[in-house]
Amino acid sequence: MPGLTADSGNALVPLSPEAHVSVVYPLHHGLKPPISRLSISWSRGNALRVSVFRELPAESGDSDGEAGGKVVQVKLGVADGEVDDAQWRRIAYGSVSPFALLQSRRNSVLALSKMSMSSSPYHPDWWEYVMEYSKDISSLLDNAKSLPNSVIDDPKTVLKKVEEPTCLKAAWGLLEIFYADKESQAWLPEQIVDWLADYDILFSGTQATVHSKLVEFQKAIVRLQTIEDDPRYWEVITSALAVGWLEIVVKLLRLHGSYQLDQLSNRETENGLVEAVAILISKMPRMRPELEAGRLGECFKTKPDFIKAWEKWRAQITKLDCSSFWVQCDHRQTRDGLRNMLQVMLGNTNNLCTSTCHWIELYISHFLYVRPFTVGLESMHALAQKCIQLKPISSSHRLMGLIIGILGENTEEERDNLGGISIEELHRLVYAQVLSSHALTWQIAPIYLTSCMKQGMGLLEVLLYKQPVQDNQMLLKTTEICRLYDLESISSSIMKIAGVYHWKHGRKGSGVFWLQQARDEFRLNRIAQQLFDFVGRSISDESFKQWEGLIELLGSESKIAGGLDFLHKYRDFKKSLQQVQVGKTTDAAQQAVESLISLMRNPSTPQRFWLPLLHDSLKLLSWQERPLLNVNQTNLLLNKLQELSMARLRPDFIEANLPPQALSSVRLALATNLGRAILEE
Amino acid sequence: MEKSLVTLDNGTTCSSWNYNGERLATGSVDGTLAIFDSIDPASSSFTCTSRSRVHEDSVVKVVWVPPEYGDAVGCICADGTLSLWEEVVEDAQPLQWKLCKSFGSNSNKVLDVQFGVSPTSLKMVIAYSDGHVKVYELLDPLELKSWQLQAEFQNASDSVSTFGKALCLSASVSWNPQRGESQQSSFVLGFHSDTPQLNSAKVWEFDQDHQRWLPVAELALHGDKGDQVFTVAWAPNIGRPYEVIAVATHKGIAIWHLGLNPDIDGRLSVERVALLSGHDGEVWQMEWDMSGMTLATTGGDGMVRLWQSNLNGVWHEQAALEPTS
Repeated sequence: MPGLTADSGNALVPLSPEAHVSVVYPLHHGLKPPISRLSISWSRGNALRVSVFRELPAESGDSDGEAGGKVVQVKLGVADGEVDDAQWRRIAYGSVSPFALLQSRRNSVLALSKMSMSSSPYHPDWWEYVMEYSKDISSLLDNAKSLPNSVIDDPKTVLKKVEEPTCLKAAWGLLEIFYADKESQAWLPEQIVDWLADYDILFSGTQATVHSKLVEFQKAIVRLQTIEDDPRYWEVITSALAVGWLEIVVKLLRLHGSYQLDQLSNRETENGLVEAVAILISKMPRMRPELEAGRLGECFKTKPDFIKAWEKWRAQITKLDCSSFWVQCDHRQTRDGLRNMLQVMLGNTNNLCTSTCHWIELYISHFLYVRPFTVGLESMHALAQKCIQLKPISSSHRLMGLIIGILGENTEEERDNLGGISIEELHRLVYAQVLSSHALTWQIAPIYLTSCMKQGMGLLEVLLYKQPVQDNQMLLKTTEICRLYDLESISSSIMKIAGVYHWKHGRKGSGVFWLQQARDEFRLNRIAQQLFDFVGRSISDESFKQWEGLIELLGSESKIAGGLDFLHKYRDFKKSLQQVQVGKTTDAAQQAVESLISLMRNPSTPQRFWLPLLHDSLKLLSWQERPLLNVNQTNLLLNKLQELSMARLRPDFIEANLPPQALSSVRLALATNLGRAILEE
Repeated sequence: MEKSLVTLDNGTTCSSWNYNGERLATGSVDGTLAIFDSIDPASSSFTCTSRSRVHEDSVVKVVWVPPEYGDAVGCICADGTLSLWEEVVEDAQPLQWKLCKSFGSNSNKVLDVQFGVSPTSLKMVIAYSDGHVKVYELLDPLELKSWQLQAEFQNASDSVSTFGKALCLSASVSWNPQRGESQQSSFVLGFHSDTPQLNSAKVWEFDQDHQRWLPVAELALHGDKGDQVFTVAWAPNIGRPYEVIAVATHKGIAIWHLGLNPDIDGRLSVERVALLSGHDGEVWQMEWDMSGMTLATTGGDGMVRLWQSNLNGVWHEQAALEPTS
């Protein structure tokens, strides 16, 4: 900002309302009193849920048909009657592309400036981009269905009828003037004059304004015969003059009775004075490059030219003020009224104060008639404080707060008391939190949060973590956003939550899938261990299918608990055993035996499963038709049994859950088999 | 403008929303645990999807278990027992809530329970009416049945002296909400008891090297250290260079800043940045919003109050909600 010094950001705004008055809002719950207790919980974004519990009626069993409690939800924020939900959403969605475009342009400008040797940090097109963004947003805020201009120009209509603007649009207008329109910084005061002309109506709701005075008088004009006799006429003219609505002033002046054809001859001097003032007003020098057609004043682009004209103009006013014609003016009200107007034009602060209603109008009048060269935020801020002192704020208005804020704060400086972020970032965080409050707009929030350097990602993580995971579509959408912004840990967390949810609700396959996506070794290990528990147990076909499916999903190359290789082989073995059950053919049985041997040979087969495996295969070991194991194989198994017997003596050995004679049955079967095998060979 | 979401059963005494506000658990005076879900995603009203009798006595508090460990709640009953219930679908059976584990007894009542997630395990802190605190660790991530007692201690800065049987009316525990992969979790704990040394809110951190919990900060001014604490709440930290913790005593709601870097003794720096008065000096519950910038509180005056810090770091009451029919 031009003229800003480094420490102005630390200064308190002394006249801002420090003693904040808390507003009490009613919370309707619809329950019959008495209420025993409240409980609160934040929902997404700014939504607060309040649980209200009713005291139980004294007589138990006496249900009075009333509910025991209610949970109500409120969305916190400015209760804005101006913009309805659908409109707000339209604005929120429409703002995203312009914002994203501006951010990307900003990044490329920054990159360019780093690469080039130029000392200036500003790209020549940068402010064009900013204005383009500002205009895009501004057009979104239009709800104006402006009424058609009437064809007949009624001379008695001083105020044009337009649709009432919104505070939102007015606020954006201010932001555009102060932050976006850098090219017009030199005539910022005149821009504020124009701004007030458009938006003074917004203050009329809470206090008297020049606009409301005009509206009142507009109604009264119809009934007035001699308009110049009415003191309100002169009051209203002076007020409109004070805030620079020159066209209205001149129009009102020309309604003066002395212009009427039958009066001209009698009131020549009076009329001359009125016309002289009207002409002076229409030739007022303005420090601005141009005025729209139909507007009064003379424009000057450069300070020297303006000063010359300004001094000449003031000299003319003074000359008129000192002329002898006033003595000859018979009509007292006209004489006093016109002279008051001249005082306004000469910048008499008393007159300015009397003719304006609230401090912003007084502020504007200062720019027009006292100090047209006010530049720099600091001096503008000081002037604003002075005006507030002269016209204290009776009922604060959001826009007034905004103006004071803009004049007083340095938005780019980082502040310790906000946790090291700038106001710019704070506003984006707050906006993102508002967006998060609605299910239909939360997806836009990431775009704003990623532009917040310090705390944006933290808030984005919280936002994403709280998204629902039961629905696969939603989950995929959320994880996609995580991927887009490199939020690996959040992505992993929510997939973990989904995995556990499905696992516990009977969808074990989905559960394993999501846990694998989350790379949650911890839980997958536990699941694998649970699967191991199946080994050696007789289970139903249903359960076996499920168990088999899970083994497939888990895969064999994972680094889980000794490798799942064993489980895969065990599964194959079990399947072939099932075939034997069904078919009773020797071929099937032989296959099963091959499986068994391969399992028993495999070093990845945990020792604690040896006996269960052999016990499962008892049928194979005592096959009727012929011995299925040859001598070597039988010896292998006998050796394993021996190893097992030795291992059982160790203190940490875990006994398999088998009937006590399992070991001896297996040994017997093997011995028999050995005998038969030897005979065969 | 408020919107009614749920109509609660007669005799409901407490309620708690799960981590993302999609499910509501309520406890009743007859020992019923009721769960409410939003069946139709289009409408935003919730209906009761299950009711289970979890106790003979009244349920006074319900606390959700972190979602990484399933859909489960801890129910504290008026007789001082705590039971953990989990929603499971087993084999061909329909959905039901099953009991996993119980803690506490009539002689030593459970005052508060809160769960903390660390990268490798789920921890549960239980504060008892005799002034003792137990920290349990879950051994199996898929089963809420087996808990191992990791530590037992009292809420005192001086770990050497023990205090006799304290008489505690209430206790409040709040874990640091962060879910960082590398960091160990810490929590803040305060008591409302007759033994002054146990009252003040202290921040406890787990010392890996010595495998024990140590108090790393005390959130009380010198003269206030014996004040009884109603409730504590740790704000989510979205990137601030300090932690924000709210502590409520009869003197008011204190907002504390806790430094992140320990000094040579392993202690963290503390600074009280505000003391807010409201609720006629009796605060029931405090909750921080998702960004940790707004604090909502309820208390003995039956109002809900909202607190924020302005641009200059000064805390004030921003608004209040007054329940009316």
